[in-house]
Amino acid sequence: MSPSVPSWYGVAASVVLVLVAYAVVVREGLGLGREVLVSAVRAAVQLLAVGALLLLLFRHTGLPGALAWVAAMVVLAGRVAGGRAKGLPGATRVATLGIGAGVAATVGLLLVARVIDTSGRVVVPVGGMVVTGAMQGASLTLQRIRDEAASGRRQVEARLALGLGSREAFAPHLRTALRTALIPAVDGTKVVGVISLPGATVGLLLAGVDPLTAIRYQVVVMYMLLGAAAVAAVVAGRLALRELFDDAHRLRA
Amino acid sequence: MLTLEDVAVVRGGTRVLDGVSCTFAAGRCTAVAGPSGAGKSTLLRLLDRLEEPTSGRVLLHDRPLPSYDVLEVRRRVGLVQQAPVLLADTVLADLRVGRAALAPDEALELLDRVGLADQPLDRATASLSGGEAQRLCLARALVVGPEVLLLDEPTSALDAVAAQAVERVVRALVQDGLTAVLVSHDLRQASRLADDVVVLRGGRVEETGPAADSRYLAGAS
Repeated sequence: MSPSVPSWYGVAASVVLVLVAYAVVVREGLGLGREVLVSAVRAAVQLLAVGALLLLLFRHTGLPGALAWVAAMVVLAGRVAGGRAKGLPGATRVATLGIGAGVAATVGLLLVARVIDTSGRVVVPVGGMVVTGAMQGASLTLQRIRDEAASGRRQVEARLALGLGSREAFAPHLRTALRTALIPAVDGTKVVGVISLPGATVGLLLAGVDPLTAIRYQVVVMYMLLGAAAVAAVVAGRLALRELFDDAHRLRA
Repeated sequence: MLTLEDVAVVRGGTRVLDGVSCTFAAGRCTAVAGPSGAGKSTLLRLLDRLEEPTSGRVLLHDRPLPSYDVLEVRRRVGLVQQAPVLLADTVLADLRVGRAALAPDEALELLDRVGLADQPLDRATASLSGGEAQRLCLARALVVGPEVLLLDEPTSALDAVAAQAVERVVRALVQDGLTAVLVSHDLRQASRLADDVVVLRGGRVEETGPAADSRYLAGAS
């Protein structure tokens, strides 16, 4: 497609870089030699498998296949984010639903408004980025909610004892959690282009797309990451509250 | 007013409370006394539905607590925790956690009731001493107009002078008709404040009756 894309020969040549890394860790006695080789092989196998699967998806399944792929990513991301919030009841389910809501809202809007094309070639990578943003939002929210529920237990119970409902009693803590969760997305949006040149732009530039077109894509990407993180954080946060309290407005142990 | 009928609480295989029956009479201060681990705080939390009995019933005005809306129960039965828990930056804002529409005049009245009449409403809660903070917590519990006040070791985190100030407030509130349930490991304090006493040991009731006749409290003096 573009002369800047490496040939298979080029890929093979880049194996030299793995050997450099291997030589460094062995020479320095870091005990990571085996891991460097295993991870390099693993990355190649994983990416080849994904490439083959995407090829199949793009050629044969159209939009439904692409959306199924995105849904699978949501499930996987939900498990990762839920695992980070261990100790919070129903964390994986809540994280999956939050991420799902963030992705559905964002990708749905982009598709309906025809901002992005409905081909798998577009929906899958865009969906992947959105899932990552939503996962970060949900994961940080749930971790912080778990920590707030532990460290702020006495405050929460003091509010409950005043006859406040669980939602009101936890409101200041939820606000803190959501703020914490959204700061990376907001800061990322602030400095984009100036400090960081995100993957989407880098990918497009490498593929030979002219910078103004690449930037146009990046603006959409940043906005959708912000939207996905916000929706995922709020939905995961609200759902987590239901798990955190019982029907009698009591913090579960 | 508040009655426990054969209440048991089992937590992680341990019987924290076992066959507890007792009554907390209206307009009186009842001390819940007993050694550490006797189940005093658990009993108190049952009265506010912050915990649920495994078996048995808790009644408010002869009606089981779960038959009331739980938020109504908590407005009628206030709780003051062991160490002061402040919920906002200023005195007025802290009181308004209980009722957002609390007028400044009402706030001053409440502060007067807890012996903080001279405090400006915009005083930062972070600058309050331990005793002042605990009395602010008492005032905040009163914001919602409770009939009963549950006091969980309310002076254990305070020095002697501050503890006396809190005791004076509790006594005055009971004289005004409020029902108080006081958990205290300080037997002298229980003797000073309580009209009645419930003594717990190992999760069971060892003694109930007027504080003046209590053998357990007599051991302190």
